[in-house]
Amino acid sequence: MTETLDSSVAGRPAAATARTAAAHITVLADRCAGCQECVVRCPTGAIDLDPQTWTVVADDSACVGCRQCERTCPFAAIVVDGPVLVEPRASLGVHHPQLLAHDRSETRLGISNWVEALREAARCLDCPDPTCVRGCPAHNDVPGFIRAIRAGDLDEAHRVLRRTSVLPDVCSRVCDQALQCEGACTWSLGNATPVAIGALERFVCDNAPVPPVERTGTAGVGMSVAIVGSGPAGIAAASELASADAAVTVFESGDEPGGLLRWGIPDFTLPEAVTRRPWEALQAAGVDLRCGQEVAAGELEALAGQFDAVVLAAGASTPLRLPIAGGDLDGVWDATRFLTEAHAALAAGTDLPALQPRRPPADGGPGDPAATVLVLGAGNTAMDVARSARRLGARAICVDWMDKKYAPVRPDELDEAAAEGVEVRFSTTVARLEGVDGHVTSAHLALTRQRSAQQRPEVLAGTTTADAVDLVVTAMGYRIAPELAEAAQGTPVAKTTGEIPDRRWQASGILANPSPGFARRQPVGWLALGREHGRAIAGAARRDRMWVAGDALVGPSTVVEAMAQGRHAAQAILRRQPRRPGRTQRPTARVLIAVDTEAGPTGRAVKVLAECLAGDGVEVRTLALHQVTANQLSWADAMVVAVASRSGGRLRQDASPATRSWPAGLPALGAMPVGLLCTYGVSRGRALARLRREIEHHGGQVVTENAIPRRLAPSQRDTALRSVAQAIVSRCVRAPVVSGPRGA
Amino acid sequence: MTTVAPHEPPSPPTPNPGLDEPVGVAVHLRPLRRDGVEVRFEATDPHGGWDLARRPRVARLLRSRRLQFFLILPNQLVFWLVIFLGLAGTVVPGLNFGTAITWYVWFCLVFVMMVVVGRAWCAMCPFGGFAEWIQRRSFWQRTQHALGLGRKLPEPIARYGLLASVGTFLLLTWIEEFFNIAGPGNPRDTSFMVLGIVASALTFFLVFERRTFCRYLCPLTALIGTVGAMGSAAGFRTRDREECLTCETKDCMRGGDNGYGCPWYTWPGSADSNLTCGLCSECYKACPSGNVGFFVQPPLTSVISPRRRRGDVAWAVAVLWGLVVFQQINSTNVYASLDSWLNRVTHFPQYPNPIGYVGTIAIIALAFAGIAKVMSLGFGRSDLPRSTPRGTRSFVDATSRFRSFFLPLAYGAIPVVGADYFARQLPKFFKHASRIVPSIGAWFGHGSTHSSLYNLRLLSNPHIVIVQVAVVAAGTLGSLWATWRIARREIIPIATHPAGARLASLAAMLACGATASVLYLIMHAAS
Repeated sequence: MTETLDSSVAGRPAAATARTAAAHITVLADRCAGCQECVVRCPTGAIDLDPQTWTVVADDSACVGCRQCERTCPFAAIVVDGPVLVEPRASLGVHHPQLLAHDRSETRLGISNWVEALREAARCLDCPDPTCVRGCPAHNDVPGFIRAIRAGDLDEAHRVLRRTSVLPDVCSRVCDQALQCEGACTWSLGNATPVAIGALERFVCDNAPVPPVERTGTAGVGMSVAIVGSGPAGIAAASELASADAAVTVFESGDEPGGLLRWGIPDFTLPEAVTRRPWEALQAAGVDLRCGQEVAAGELEALAGQFDAVVLAAGASTPLRLPIAGGDLDGVWDATRFLTEAHAALAAGTDLPALQPRRPPADGGPGDPAATVLVLGAGNTAMDVARSARRLGARAICVDWMDKKYAPVRPDELDEAAAEGVEVRFSTTVARLEGVDGHVTSAHLALTRQRSAQQRPEVLAGTTTADAVDLVVTAMGYRIAPELAEAAQGTPVAKTTGEIPDRRWQASGILANPSPGFARRQPVGWLALGREHGRAIAGAARRDRMWVAGDALVGPSTVVEAMAQGRHAAQAILRRQPRRPGRTQRPTARVLIAVDTEAGPTGRAVKVLAECLAGDGVEVRTLALHQVTANQLSWADAMVVAVASRSGGRLRQDASPATRSWPAGLPALGAMPVGLLCTYGVSRGRALARLRREIEHHGGQVVTENAIPRRLAPSQRDTALRSVAQAIVSRCVRAPVVSGPRGA
Repeated sequence: MTTVAPHEPPSPPTPNPGLDEPVGVAVHLRPLRRDGVEVRFEATDPHGGWDLARRPRVARLLRSRRLQFFLILPNQLVFWLVIFLGLAGTVVPGLNFGTAITWYVWFCLVFVMMVVVGRAWCAMCPFGGFAEWIQRRSFWQRTQHALGLGRKLPEPIARYGLLASVGTFLLLTWIEEFFNIAGPGNPRDTSFMVLGIVASALTFFLVFERRTFCRYLCPLTALIGTVGAMGSAAGFRTRDREECLTCETKDCMRGGDNGYGCPWYTWPGSADSNLTCGLCSECYKACPSGNVGFFVQPPLTSVISPRRRRGDVAWAVAVLWGLVVFQQINSTNVYASLDSWLNRVTHFPQYPNPIGYVGTIAIIALAFAGIAKVMSLGFGRSDLPRSTPRGTRSFVDATSRFRSFFLPLAYGAIPVVGADYFARQLPKFFKHASRIVPSIGAWFGHGSTHSSLYNLRLLSNPHIVIVQVAVVAAGTLGSLWATWRIARREIIPIATHPAGARLASLAAMLACGATASVLYLIMHAAS
């Protein structure tokens, strides 16, 4: 610990001390079923079960009004009235430099001392089912590290954070916590101001020493993994794999590692020292970093031949094209180019040549000394571009065609930009660009109108005005390079949540408030669930021994999401233990049997098949079709899909409608060997053919297909099932050979 | 699903057999309360052998999402026919199929189902069923996004449980008496009444979530819920309570992949009677661990056994008793004179005067409650608390010296009240049920008021009265048996004179039965 703890301010949540008026809990005894979902989740223990009536009773004196009980009750049998009893949130300052030019100091200030930290930590309710943990894409144990802060143990707090996050120092600075952990905080869901989780995380990281990456694990011994890209996803994957003692080689196309962290986020948001830390630690741990080596999509196959596994974490760095007249003029840059050059210029203390004003003075005088940069967009990247331009002495104008009410901009970022002199115009779009001698000199801007968040803004006729500009920077978004998207089996994948959400998430109450005020009325729970889906998908190989993570998987997202996915992909690799051809295979293969019904002949066949596989030393799990998700698939080396063909008339036999629609929700199978098994009474019909088509469409390799009539004699049936088992076993268990050299 | 692995024994399915789940590390739920769970459910948990869902055919049927659709469909067709024929068919009530099926047969059948099964009608009800199809936007498939506002019933109404339904039942009965719909009067009135119920159901289904209408506002739900306690369907209950308590997902309440969350706000893990089980089987379908069974039970179990006596149920029984007795005395000359006098005084056009209607029912209900009050004063131990401290217990669960006697007595009276309602429906059935045939013939031009079937009476008036009295006597016996059992557990421990209190309870039931029987004789004499 680097600071001393004043014991007078350490302690438990301060909510109770702020009691000025009482909250009141009403239990609708008629509807309360005594399931105790609220009892086990009440942060203050204000709710208990009355064993006589088997309904819950509430103690108003212990209630802080967080409404967690309201949100978790499955039958809406609880109503909480009254105020939310919590101390005010710590106000975090913003640093506005006296002289903005070439200033690289951090704008957002953190918590500066223990007193503030403990006061803020005391606001945390230490919820039994913390929704903030689900809101955090990395699932940091937020109550755990805040508990450690309250105990005055920064090292423990840091250790708790590092358990799930490789980049807590980065995330605490760049995350939009309002849509993540803080938006999902119990206080936020109760429409109060959440705990400043990001600031506390930053306090921990800034004041506790960064631990080295230690090769303490053994799961990666003898395994070599190539990682393409050194951004957040690559860092997380490398860290996880190196910790497990795998040989990790990272290929970075740029001259320095860090990817987006390096070029995409200016120093005034993420200081360079913080960006460097993870790579210093990884290189010290023996990670082989190869900068300046770009891996093209066509080279991935060859890379997979040299390494046991490949993680594609190359990001999504292809900027969206500007589809207007004049979009190809000189002086029209994409944000990547601008930020990279601006970063270098600011670091060197020099000017950016592109920001020299080129416009001729109208009156023939000395002209405007400051260049004008028009930034197209008003998101994070656009703000970074505009603020960097301001630091390089230029005037900056951001235009966004969305209405301010609906624009996905962070209000704090908008305020900071405005304070630094950035002009942001919402409901404005660029109609065309004009130039002189091939260089852009003016932008014709038009007003737009947007009636709802879902509606595409419409351009208003007759509202176009011309603005003189020296540089136009497009910050309208990025996409995955098409060739990489193709190599990764059709990325980006949608972060869809499915029709029916995970009931554990529902039970936590995170989905119950669809629009907390602090979260800018965004559905934090559903956003978190979508991110969770993206994380789960990262655990499934997209091709044979190739995993994809980060922006390369889901398209442009956030640092913390990319990191969580990279870590998840690495864990999947360590669990799966892939080996390139000719290397030793993990002794126990794992086969997942997905079955549409456990009853009848199909259920019996699956039991026999499982016994056959188990007899061959294979670890088998049998799950219902709807239970098979990316997470489960990441566990398995092969899969058998067992269905019954029974639906339809005599000539149209097929699997049930639910079974037929099941493959649509499957993630990419990454060349996973798949066996198909179908039991039937009348005819096998189209069930197998349809399944094969779907499985192959998702990148699986169908290695065996078997249809078993219900009337088949048990001995014949067992023989058929044994052949299925053998086909599967032969594909996922290879004879051990001498282990190959470590690394590529 | 089973998990088979070479190094581990078969175990229940692992919900997440993939990678480590970091959220779980941070979750540290408070411990569950389990104390007293055995005592609480000892008497009401059905025997494992009574689980019909253990039979593969029944299980297959219950798993089918189409089951309820096909239960509702025939009733749906019949009631749309009722509406259509009421508007477009003959105005002769006895020859109109809509009138005949509704008032001569249907109401009687519903009572039989109530007494024998429980909420069987709710499982096939065309009113709630129709509205639910629209709310779910599906006939049987599991959908996620419901149509409508999905509001929760306001707390001031929900806190009184079944009493809102008692109110709507009183209102509907008054309307029926006012327009003489069940008389039967003009078939068109029957159509309007059914249409009104369908429209109300649909409106409430589109405003409120789940089956809020069925649970709280349907005119029949209090009657079916209370009288249905005599039935032998225990409903869907847990097979292993510990598994329900530790279940992390509560799919039966929130809805799962294969089933909706309970539309009736009932959790199989704590159900101790069939009061609020609509037999829709959604919990059975939704449960991911197959821990829900479909149980039957001996008759009257849900009357006698529940340890939790609900205030709303007790008051519902008292008011329903008041209503059925009103329907008996309203045919007497004394009441006719009273009603006429009230109408003159209040300038109300015709029978039934609302003041007389509500007043009579209230007096009878309060008289029933008065018996409990007198017993509590006469037999109640002095150390019993006069009332629960304010704010600690809701209306449903509040306790007091009066309630300690009133609640067991009201539960004990359920059989005699149910029998009285059933007996009240019998004359129409025995006199006119055969008119169903000519009313069907009337579609094809063959129905006639002169046909033998139209004028056929299954029983003569004196015989009907005998059957009515016999039904009430059977109900009285049921009440005596139930009260005897209930009193042993709930009244004797709190009475200063246990034997006297028990005898007084039985006497109260006898008095109810005698009142109903005598009134049938008087009604017969009056007619």
